This record gives sequence, C-alpha cells and structure tokens, in this order.
Amino acid sequence: MSRVNLIVKKRLLVVLIVFSFLIFALLVRIGYIQFIQGDFLRKEAYVQQNMGRIINPRRGTIYDRNGKELAISASVETVSVNPQELLKNTGITLEEIANKLAELLDMEPYKVLTIISRNTGFEFVKQKVDKEVGDAVRKWRDSNNLTGIYVDEDSKRYYPNRSLAAHVIGITRTDNVGMFGIEAVFDKYLKGVPGKIISEVDGLNREIPLSEEKHIAPRDGWNIILTIDETIQYFAEKALESAIADYKVIGGAAAIVMDPRNGEILAMVSKPDFDLNNPREAPPGVDPSTWSGYTNEDVLTLWSTIWKNKAVSEAYEPGSTFKAITTAAGIEEGVITPNTIVTDRTMTLAGRNIDCWKPNAHGTQPFYEAVYNSCNPVFVKLALDLGLNKFYSYMKAFGFYDNTGIELPEGTPVHHTNPKEIDMAVSSFGQRFMITPIQLITAYSAIANGGKLIRPHLVKELVDNEGNVMMRYEPEVIRQVISRQTAETVLEILEGVVSEGTGKNAYVKGYRVAGKTGTSVTTTPGRYIASFAAIAPADNPVITVLVILDNPTGFSYYGGTIAAPVAGQLIEDTLNYLGVERRYTEQDQEMMKNVVIVPDLRNKTVEEAKIALSGVKLKAIVKNDGSGGNLVKDQTPKPGASLYEDSVVIVYTYNPPEDRKVQVPDLANKTISEATETLNSLGLNIKVNGVGIAHKQNIEPGTFVDEGTIIEVDFLYFENTVW
Amino acid sequence: MKKQKPVDFWVLMTVLILLAFGTIMVFSASAPYAYNYMNGDTYHFLKKQLQYLPIGLFAMFVMANFDYRKLAKLSPYFFVISIGLLVLVLIPGIGRVFNKSRRWFVLAGQSIQPSEFMKISLILFFSYSLSSRKDQLKYFFKGLLPYLLVVGAIAVLLLMEPHFSCAIIVILVSAILLFCAGAKIKHFVMLSVPVVAALASVIIFVDYMRERALSFLNPFADPTGDGWQAVQSLYAIGSGGFFGRGLGKSLQKFLYLPEPYNDFILSVVAEELGFIGVLVVMLLFLIFIWRGVKIAVNAPDLFGSLVAIGITALVAVQVIINFAVVTSSVPVTGMPLPFFSYGGTSLILLLTDVGILLNISRHADYKRI
Repeated sequence: MSRVNLIVKKRLLVVLIVFSFLIFALLVRIGYIQFIQGDFLRKEAYVQQNMGRIINPRRGTIYDRNGKELAISASVETVSVNPQELLKNTGITLEEIANKLAELLDMEPYKVLTIISRNTGFEFVKQKVDKEVGDAVRKWRDSNNLTGIYVDEDSKRYYPNRSLAAHVIGITRTDNVGMFGIEAVFDKYLKGVPGKIISEVDGLNREIPLSEEKHIAPRDGWNIILTIDETIQYFAEKALESAIADYKVIGGAAAIVMDPRNGEILAMVSKPDFDLNNPREAPPGVDPSTWSGYTNEDVLTLWSTIWKNKAVSEAYEPGSTFKAITTAAGIEEGVITPNTIVTDRTMTLAGRNIDCWKPNAHGTQPFYEAVYNSCNPVFVKLALDLGLNKFYSYMKAFGFYDNTGIELPEGTPVHHTNPKEIDMAVSSFGQRFMITPIQLITAYSAIANGGKLIRPHLVKELVDNEGNVMMRYEPEVIRQVISRQTAETVLEILEGVVSEGTGKNAYVKGYRVAGKTGTSVTTTPGRYIASFAAIAPADNPVITVLVILDNPTGFSYYGGTIAAPVAGQLIEDTLNYLGVERRYTEQDQEMMKNVVIVPDLRNKTVEEAKIALSGVKLKAIVKNDGSGGNLVKDQTPKPGASLYEDSVVIVYTYNPPEDRKVQVPDLANKTISEATETLNSLGLNIKVNGVGIAHKQNIEPGTFVDEGTIIEVDFLYFENTVW
Repeated sequence: MKKQKPVDFWVLMTVLILLAFGTIMVFSASAPYAYNYMNGDTYHFLKKQLQYLPIGLFAMFVMANFDYRKLAKLSPYFFVISIGLLVLVLIPGIGRVFNKSRRWFVLAGQSIQPSEFMKISLILFFSYSLSSRKDQLKYFFKGLLPYLLVVGAIAVLLLMEPHFSCAIIVILVSAILLFCAGAKIKHFVMLSVPVVAALASVIIFVDYMRERALSFLNPFADPTGDGWQAVQSLYAIGSGGFFGRGLGKSLQKFLYLPEPYNDFILSVVAEELGFIGVLVVMLLFLIFIWRGVKIAVNAPDLFGSLVAIGITALVAVQVIINFAVVTSSVPVTGMPLPFFSYGGTSLILLLTDVGILLNISRHADYKRI
C-alpha cells in the first residue's frame, strides 16, 4: 500500500478549510436570522402560536349633568369555541355538543354544528347572551369537563330613557362601536381598551397542555357627563310633542335649551325621534312589511328621518328671529337707537317691493316698536344704513359662517357667495340664507351673555371608573361680538316683543322673557317654519331657548302664534325647575286667580249667601222656580269644592231636579272676558290658560256636562303675531 | 498481541458529547409529536433512541478494535452487496414505500435503509481502489472516469427510490475522496460544467425538486404550502435569540416543525438554547472534523487516510447540508444531523464509521506531521 504523500496532505487541509469556512458562514447566517430577523420572526411565530380571545372592556356610561344614566352597558356574555380543542373531548360527539349548545343558547342545532365543525382555531357561537345563559353554558361545560368552550364577558348598550335625547346620545353598532351622536364622537374615550385571554396553541390550533392562559385585563371606557339635564330635556320633548299634535307639524321640530353663561346645552330635541334601544325600527309613515332597517335604502331613509338631528345638522332660513342680530349690529354701530323714529312704508329695492306683513299699518314709530311689530322695511333700511361690509361682518362675528364647534356633526350654513344689496335686504329679516338652529341659539346666547359669543357644548366631563376626572370642558369664549351695553339694549327691546309685541304668547307670569318670533317662508310653496328664540329671565339670563316647528299645517303657521307658546311653556317649566324665583308684576298678580273653597250656603237666605260668596270672591247665580222662596235649598257646586276666584256658584231656592245638564258652548275666537261671561251665564266655570283669543277648549262644544263644571280654555294672541 | 495505542481522545469525546446532547434534544423535540401521534407516549422516541445507542456504541467499540486494514480486502464484497441491496429495494414488494419513497427494507419490525450501507461501502471500496491504483488517477479515461461512472450509477439507483439527499452525499463524498487521492484539478473543472448542468436539469425537470427549490428562494411566498417547513424553521430559529427560550421550552416543536426530532432538530436547539446552543454544537462538529482530517493526515497508509477523510467528510457534508437546510440557505432536503437526530440504522452505521475512524487513529503517527 502506498503512503500518504504531500499532495494528499495538502488536499486534506484544503478540505478542512472548506468545511470550516462553510460552517462559519452558516453560523453567520444563523446569527443573522436570530439577531437581525429575530424580531420579525418572533412576532410572526407569536401570532401563529397564540390564540387570543378578546375581552371587551365595559363601555363608559353616559350620564346627564346630574348623574342620571342615559346610556349604560349591561353585562352580557359571549360564547365561543375552539373547534380543534372540541375534538379532544372524549365520550361526547360534536353532534351532542352542538345539540346541547343549541338548546342552551336557543339556536338551531345544525347551525351550531356548522360553526363548531369549522377547521379553525376560534369561532363565535353566540354573542351577547344574558348572564344566566352564559352561566348555564359554564356549568354544563365544567360538570362535563369539556375543553374548547369559552364563555367570556361582554357588554351590550342599553338606554333606560328610550328616545330621550336620542340624537344627542346616538347609538352603537352590535360590536359596541359608536355610530352617531356622542356615542360616535366620543367613541375613543367610551370604548376603553380591550383585554385579551391568550393561550398557546400547537400546529393544529389546539391548546398546548400545561401552558397557562395569559390574561390581559381590559381598561374600561371613560364615563361621559353631559351638560344635558334629563328633566329639562323631558320638558322640551313634551312641549314639542304636544305642539306637533296641536299644530299638525309634519316636517319635524327642534328645540334647544342652552345656558348662555357657559355654553352648556341643557336640552336638545329633534323630532321625529326613535327609541335608542330599537333604532332601526321603521320611521312613521314607512311600510313596515318591506322594511329591514339594514339595506342601503333603509339606512338612507333613517338618516333623512328619525336619525336626523334637526337642531344641529339641518340648516334652515331663520326668518324674523334673525332681526335680533340685525338690531344688535345697528345699535352697536350707532346706526340706530331704540327711540329712532322709523317707518314701515313699503320700499322698493332693485325693482322689488318690500312690505311690512301688515303693509303700511304701523306708520311711523320708534324703532323698538318696529321690532315689536316685526316690520320688514325697517330692517331693510337698517341694513342698508349699515352697508354690506358691516352687515356681513356682524353676521360672521355672530358665528353664522362657522361651525359652532359643538361636539356633534353640524350642517353647513348656506350664504350668498357675493352678496349684493338686495341679498342683504332679504337677509336683514332672515330670509334667503340658511343657518343651523345651534348657530342661531349661540348668537342669541351672545346677546344674553353681555355680547360674548360662547362655544356651545354638550359634554361637561370625562370620568374614569374610579371617579377621577380625566377631562373637563371649560366654557370657551370665542369673541366679544357686541358691547355689554348693546347687548342689554337689545335684550330690553326683545323683552318688549314678548310683553307687548308679536311674542306675547311666550309670556310667562313672574318671569321676564325676551324673545323674537320667526315665520320663515321656505322655497317650497306652502311650507313655513314657525320658530321662536327666547332669553329668560331678561334681567339676568339663565337660559336661551329656540323652538322650531317645521311645516305646521294646523290652524296657524306663524311663529308668534304656535312656536311662542311652546317656548313660553318650556321657559316656565325650566326656570321653575331650576328654582329661579318668580317676581310677579302687578299685572301678573291681577291676572292670577286663587283657588277658593265653596262655602255651605244651604238654609241661608239669598242675601246671606251672596255675602258669603263675595267674601271668597265668588259670584252667585240665583235660580228660583217662581214660588218666591228666599232660603237656599241647594247649590252647585257642592260645599267644599274648589273653584277659581270670580267663578260662579248657582244657588237654588227650590229643590232642583237631580240631573241638571248644560250644553258646552263653542268658545272659539272669544276673548277671556267673553268666554268667562258665556260660560258663567250657563252656570259653567272657566280655567284660563294663556292670554289672547280662545283657540282650544278641553271639552268639545255641544257636550252635555254637569252645571258648575270647570272648562279649561287655551288663549293665544292671533291678531298681531304674524312674522 | 502487542499493546495497542489509545484511540483519538478528541474524536471520542466530541462524539460522546454530541450523542448525549443529541439524545436530550431528541427527547425535548419529539415529546409533543410523540404525545400526539404515539398514543400519548411522550417518551416514545427517547426510548427507541436509547435502544439504538448501545447497539451503535457497541458497533463503534468493535470497529475501534478491528484493524481497519483488514477492511481493505473486504471492501469489494461490501460494495457489491450494497449495490445489490440498492437494486433489491427498488423492487415493489421487497422495498417498502414511506412518504412516496421506496427506500426501506423491513426486517423483524425494524426498517433499514440500504442507502446507509452504501455510504460506508463506497468509502471503503473507493479508498481501497484509489490507494492501490493511485498513479492511474492522473489520467482521465483510465483513472478518473471509471469512478465517476460508478458514482453516477449509484446516484441513479438512489434517485430512483428517490433518495436525493443520499445521492448528494454519495456524490460529494466521492468527489472529496477523488480530490484527496490526487485527481487532477483540471479534470474537476472540466467535470463541473456537466455536473452543474445535470443539477440544473434535475431541478427544472423533477417536479418535487423544483417546488422545493422555488420555496427555498422565498419561503414566505407560500408559508402554509411549499414554504411551510422553511418558514417554521426560521420561526423557531428567530424565536431563540442569543440564549434561547430555555431547554424544553420550544413552541415550534408543537406540530409546527415537521419531525422536529429529525431533520429540524437544529431548529429546536436554536429555539431552546439560542445562538449559544448552535455555536456549541457546531464547535463540537468542527473539533470532530479537525481531528478527522488530522487522523487522515497522520494515517500510516493512503487507504487509512482516505477512509478517515471519507468518514470525516460523510459527517461534515451532512452537518453542513442540514445546517444549510434549517437556515433556509438551500432547498429543503431530508438530511439528518449526525449523532444528533433521531434515527435507527443511520445512527448505528454512523457509530460504526466512527469506530473505523478511531481504529485508524490508533495507527496514526502524530510525530510525522
């Protein structure tokens, strides 16, 4: 055999070097994989090795300003499975599991079977089941030692007040994500941070034995405290609901109550509305048989009807309510004073005649009276005196060109792009441009707040679960629009509108209300928008109120006639509730009637009876049968009954028949005294609501009622309540 | 009988350490697989490995004491028998098919791969032949070509099973033997052209090879299909970092890595013991290779030298290819890690080979370097 020569030895060394080099190269390669690509690979590996089940955090509660719950999350459970884990269960078939789950969860067994037979590592069986159902599943699972079935906490939104403040609160989708309203805008705060239950799984998606589940606790969402006051919101909703019924309002309605001092919205209503717990129900007037609530078409319908927030997202022509702004601009610029003598004579501008609603009826008058009477030519003249630049700079200063910055999505105002004098002329009395209700009430609040324009807002505070304030929304002054003095002067004039002018129907005894009526002529023939904007009390404003009735088709469409009383009612309820002290004027006291108790007049002489009645400010009607008796045998009403002062008591000098019925007269268009007289003469009594002309009585004319019955009659000013 | 010199300490130690280390890793890596597929018997593969080990160690001991020079004359017989077995295994009914390959005999419940015998038979026979015909090797037709034809024939037989990885080993080990025996560099360069062409055509025309080749280039293109094995291996390695997750804590062995106790055991080492673990394993192999080459250099005769380098190359080639496969540096091919991976006949024969190497080391003359 040959020996190992030098060439062989050299080549052996070459082989050693090549092997070593390759191994070192591969060590570099594995180092590269571990150190450079390591993070990426680790993450990817983690994703495949871990199966996470989300634990939903509790969604924050929405409270009103007094801590009343408006939107809460009820604890529910979600049942899910790992189909691969289920296969590990011995002694029970998938079919048996499916049948039992279906029974517990009230589902179709074949559906459950399809779900739990899938070739995946995670499937929901049913989401948002009641706690009891979840517990039942847990109990069954644990008593049978089954693996692969999970019951995890979840939450479901619930709105205890159903439709109250629906458009402000908004709704969430089934996955608890806010869809509109505060629920959507503040979703990121409300939703919290989800937790996770992570378990390690093998290549077949089954849990690795002995590996521990990792729990990452969810962080619950923050609670929101709104500026809305549940009670005032309720007043506003009630007021609008009855207005819609009484005045046959078919285009919807809106109302806002705001605190002008800090911009807090106390109530915001938009009608028609919906039940927050059932937001996709067919809107009124839609055929429910073809309705799903989920098709594109249906959702568009929802957005244009019950989901629409008319108070914020819909621009409208403000009509004469805007005259307060023109007034403020004129006074601030010194173009006019309350006592400047003006005329409402028809004027011609660019070939168009501009009339007062009552052409040439008011003649010359001081400016403040022209505001009371809402004379259009006066405002056109005022605007012309201001000039285009000044007029529109005030419009901008009052915020009509900007979003107010309230938390909800706002409608876009529509203004003349290159306004000419004729555009300004119609704008001076609020026509042919469009703004949102929230813009108008914000401008009115500036007048109420000494000329400071304040950003309106709906959210007071965000609070975490322990009650720590996470965020607080402070009042934000945008700018001083007019001087305090001007603001006070405008307020005074607006107060006169209510006490003496076109806004009388908004008068509230004991509270000084300032306000302005509005009747917008829309571009749709026959469709009017009746509105009323108010500030109360005028001497120390606490609230501003705006009521808008879109397309009233009842006996009147005038803001002064139908919107003013709604605003008056809302102001009275609200101020009363807020504990604002009433200070009655002498006139108020005169009009207020006390309740008195009917004395026992039987066996008194007629004269004695009359004295006894006048002693308690009641009137007597004597009825005799001609027999000449002078002793009172009977009376209506009976002793002990309650009557208003000045009511009548019928005294009989004979024994009257048991059944004494009177037919109720028609009181329509009668004044208070006429109506009182008519009723009293028939032996009936009256309860007066409001002032002006009777337009509604609580018992239909022609009905037979007992003698002495109290008829409730609503009075309104009609005659001079047009624009 | 005169007192024999001791065996090479380093070779023996590295092999024993690798065996011990490997056995631990086989247990760790195979436990989830065994739990799921062997009726919950977590120890299934460990127990079988512990049955093969004593047999292998016994074979090593025997061969370490069997004068390797006697193998020279026996080698032609071994070689002919091995070729016969390779032909036999291709006959349906005799050779068993697992995973689409007909490469096993089943004897008394034990599966045996004739290709394993081929490796050592080829090393012994070529070494014997080359050492006796050394001077012919400088001629291409008279010297080199016959060896190439024999290797080619064996490779064809192996590819018919198919057993691609074994064919690669046979070709590479033969080439190293021919190179060390003194074949002309010129001839190698000439040959490399058709060899490269042949390899390319195999990759282009053999479907399963092409799929593997393509998935190797970008395993993440199809991470759940062709790229699955490479991707899972990279996940394991990447998850390990410098120090690893800790012994026994691999997650990739939970049915993500295919047979993690076998071809991808290095991935589990990388995941559980990190870069450090892999470095230790590779340093052990480097020591083994270094000592193997040293034994070859100091062998008393050319036959011993070639056998030593053949056995060393057999281990080194497998280590390098396995390492390259798990790091997705070459297309995935079934290549166990010597001494480390779980495996019956392959382990026993490998230890037999080491026994031969150890015996050569006893005759080595270190002073003659």
